[in-house]
Amino acid sequence: MSEPQVTVRMSVNGRAVTRTVPARLTLADFIREELELTGTHLGCEHGVCGACTVLVDGRSMRSCILYAGQMEGAEITTIEGLSPSDGSLSPIQQALHELHGLQCGFCTPGFVVTVHELLGDSPNPTEAEVREALSGNICRCTGYQGIVAAVLKVGRGACQATES
Amino acid sequence: MRDTHERVSEGAIGKPLLRSEDARLLTGRGCFIADLRLPRMAHAVFVRSPHAHARVRSIDAARAAVLPGVLAVITAADLPEVGLAHINEVPGLVKTPQPVLAGDRVRYAGQAVAILVAEDRYIGEDALELIDVDYEELPVVVSVDAAKPEGHVPLLPEVPDDVVYRDHRVFGDPAGAFESAARVFTSTYRASRFVAAPLENRGCIASFEPASRTLSFWSSTQAPHLLRRRLALCTGLPEHHVRVMMPDVGGGFGQKIPVSPEEVAVAFASAHLGLPVKWIEDRRENLMAAPHAKEQIIHLELAVDDDGTFRGLRARILGDTGAYSYNSASALIEPFMAAKLLPGVYRLDDYEYEVQAVLSNKSPTAPYRGVGWTAAQVARELLIDEVARGLGADAVELRLQNMIRSEELPRTSAPGLLYDSGSYQESLRLAAQMAGYEEFRAEQERARAEGRYLGIGFSPYVEPAGWGTQGMNQIGLHSFPSNDSARVSMDASGKVTVFVGTVALGQGHDTVMAQIAADALGVPFEDVTVVFADTSSVPISLAGTRASRSTVVGGGAVGLAAEDLRGKLLRIAGLMLEVDHQGLEIAGGRVRARGAVSISLSVREVAEAAFFNTSTREAEPEPNLTCTRLHDPDATCSNGCIAAIVEVDAETGAVKVRRLIGVEDCGTMINPMLVEGQLIGGLAQGLGGALLERVAYDEHGQIMTTTLMEYLLPTATEMPNVEIQHLSSPSPNTWRGIKGMAESGMVGGPAAIASAVADALAPFGARVGSLPLSAEAVVHMIAPRPS
Repeated sequence: MSEPQVTVRMSVNGRAVTRTVPARLTLADFIREELELTGTHLGCEHGVCGACTVLVDGRSMRSCILYAGQMEGAEITTIEGLSPSDGSLSPIQQALHELHGLQCGFCTPGFVVTVHELLGDSPNPTEAEVREALSGNICRCTGYQGIVAAVLKVGRGACQATES
Repeated sequence: MRDTHERVSEGAIGKPLLRSEDARLLTGRGCFIADLRLPRMAHAVFVRSPHAHARVRSIDAARAAVLPGVLAVITAADLPEVGLAHINEVPGLVKTPQPVLAGDRVRYAGQAVAILVAEDRYIGEDALELIDVDYEELPVVVSVDAAKPEGHVPLLPEVPDDVVYRDHRVFGDPAGAFESAARVFTSTYRASRFVAAPLENRGCIASFEPASRTLSFWSSTQAPHLLRRRLALCTGLPEHHVRVMMPDVGGGFGQKIPVSPEEVAVAFASAHLGLPVKWIEDRRENLMAAPHAKEQIIHLELAVDDDGTFRGLRARILGDTGAYSYNSASALIEPFMAAKLLPGVYRLDDYEYEVQAVLSNKSPTAPYRGVGWTAAQVARELLIDEVARGLGADAVELRLQNMIRSEELPRTSAPGLLYDSGSYQESLRLAAQMAGYEEFRAEQERARAEGRYLGIGFSPYVEPAGWGTQGMNQIGLHSFPSNDSARVSMDASGKVTVFVGTVALGQGHDTVMAQIAADALGVPFEDVTVVFADTSSVPISLAGTRASRSTVVGGGAVGLAAEDLRGKLLRIAGLMLEVDHQGLEIAGGRVRARGAVSISLSVREVAEAAFFNTSTREAEPEPNLTCTRLHDPDATCSNGCIAAIVEVDAETGAVKVRRLIGVEDCGTMINPMLVEGQLIGGLAQGLGGALLERVAYDEHGQIMTTTLMEYLLPTATEMPNVEIQHLSSPSPNTWRGIKGMAESGMVGGPAAIASAVADALAPFGARVGSLPLSAEAVVHMIAPRPS
């Protein structure tokens, strides 16, 4: 097919990547299908649910509504890049584990990425700030209680978190 | 109420152990259906009807077929006629078989008329636009209680009035009760159409191997054994040539119980091409064409004496089943289930119901967490609030007055459900205490004086939970032997593998099943691994993961098998220690003599001897350290009470849920952390149903809610933290007294919130007649438009 192609260079989880891809290939499909980083999930493919959230140059973005071809020179971090390679858990992941912040786990990578950005911007958020920051990620299983508690625990409010 | 929590908490059971499944899911190492990839795999997309009701005159796929990368376009004409009807039989139910692909007729917008297979999904979706389907539109039925449209063409010729089920049942003497009661209160509740909307859409991969004529099938399903059987029946393959495997499943909530027409179509496509074929549903398809739930109209009459005593209940329920009644007795999953549980926790022995299930040109319905109980609960509890207001009675006292007391249990409800044990009054009292009910009423008065509208609602519920065959029969779903088997094996190093046929969709079965096996065997939790559904290797779960049954039925089977295995270990250890095995016990991974701990062996030593020392056969003729058991427990019900406190902005109509309180009683808890997780998660879905969620169709049967910007799911800003307390009334009918509970938040939640909003708006004389209580709906309730 004579589908338009684009050559892009980017960094994904610290690794330099150069690929020639169809211009219409979404960043999410690029990450999942081309790079086989399947931790980035697709829940709606229209930018609402947040399961596909990745960091682009340090900011959280919906990879389902971006094109891979737009990523020239970008630094992309996926859930795999935020997870220790030895199988241990990052502080955010550990807190989600301890406070039952996940059930089916499908939305979880998107939440981990969003929380990573939040705590980078605001290491000690209030509960209202946490809820606001998480409001772009949908979890259909947990009712958010364990997720919010986990974020507060990682921030300075660990005491409040265990009470809720 | 008996509290046996202490007695069973010495082992792994009862501890809030952290989940074994978490780490890989947290790090992006989960493996969901979309993540699986097979060599030479092709991708399926579906041609879906844009019309709600139409004749299909022709399908022209010629332009699509020649697009490079398109491998096949398959229509109904290419498929054998196969049915998707479930084995459930309910006398009087007309099963209307849904074809895998619509043939000459489409009956809802979104129904699949063809499956197209391409080298990748991008090409497949391009090709969809090149398929020309010639439709002749027909009049549409979108509302089951409106007059039929002009020129009405019945959805199926054999059902001229579109009614697939009607029944009228009388229990006790409702006529006498209504005649002699002082007052009769009436209500109509219109339950909206919801969709379960698991965050992972549906999906499957079929891989047909033509040489051996075997079908390997991976699916995001809740019922792998049912799926295997259905695929075998549809394809004509012998059942042992069909293998269904489960990847991680990203939520289901009932929607993934039925075998999808799409799954069968993908299996045929794979067989046709001799290639693995993958289908990953997108959100639009899920919202429009995956099964919906809960839509029905409930008319109630409650006969009451002046002192508040409930005398009798009459119900007329009209269920909107959507276009087909094809699966899991799905036409009945709402209205019929609602009728069976309408008496709830109340003494209502003089009861009468009329149920109708009516076809409409909308997506078919399937179970969604709480099934018809959600709507029944909302209808009943809102009416009880009306009674309280009408009599000037207190809403909590009125409920307590009419509730079944725990000492009256076990008791069979009017429609025949066994309530085995419970804490109905205790749950409500505790919820009222947690809410600070007395103080709240004072605060409410003060707030009203300031023009702020606070409300409180209580929703005491009973949940038929963990059905075996008896429970299924009692609810009216006959010919469905709902049992599970499980296998527990120990290897020569003393480690344990548990094989179960149920599917984990987020509930934490990996952890729960291991806790049960560890406890029953007396080994450390860490020494147990759980293997899930691959139908070629796990024992059969007849019903799969549904109906809050996995821990009760499947977990019970694990417990029984582990106990059998413990017996084998003890007999072998008795021989090795030269003592009577009946005096031995296993704890902490060691077999020891009761009262003489110096006489002991490690479980590993016993296991090693079982496999490698043939002399152990003197004590245990089959020292294979593998036991399989079937479990089919009698009926059981969990119970509890949800309370909600809301604030309603009378200007904007916005409802803020300030507090959610859950008192729950599921008997013996395996893992309190997971019980709480299920309750909170169910309550979030309940909050969505009460305030946000509604599948909307226009008068042409076009679905208006096809993205998550229109079908609104609750986010972290709407959902408050839930305050929880547990009571424990173990079941006399199940292994160790376990009861299922995972639907309770969705059974009790919407009613509590609806009741609280009605309470807040009582000064306006507003009545809640449907959900969701969007801001717009609330504004209209406060100031009804002049008609």
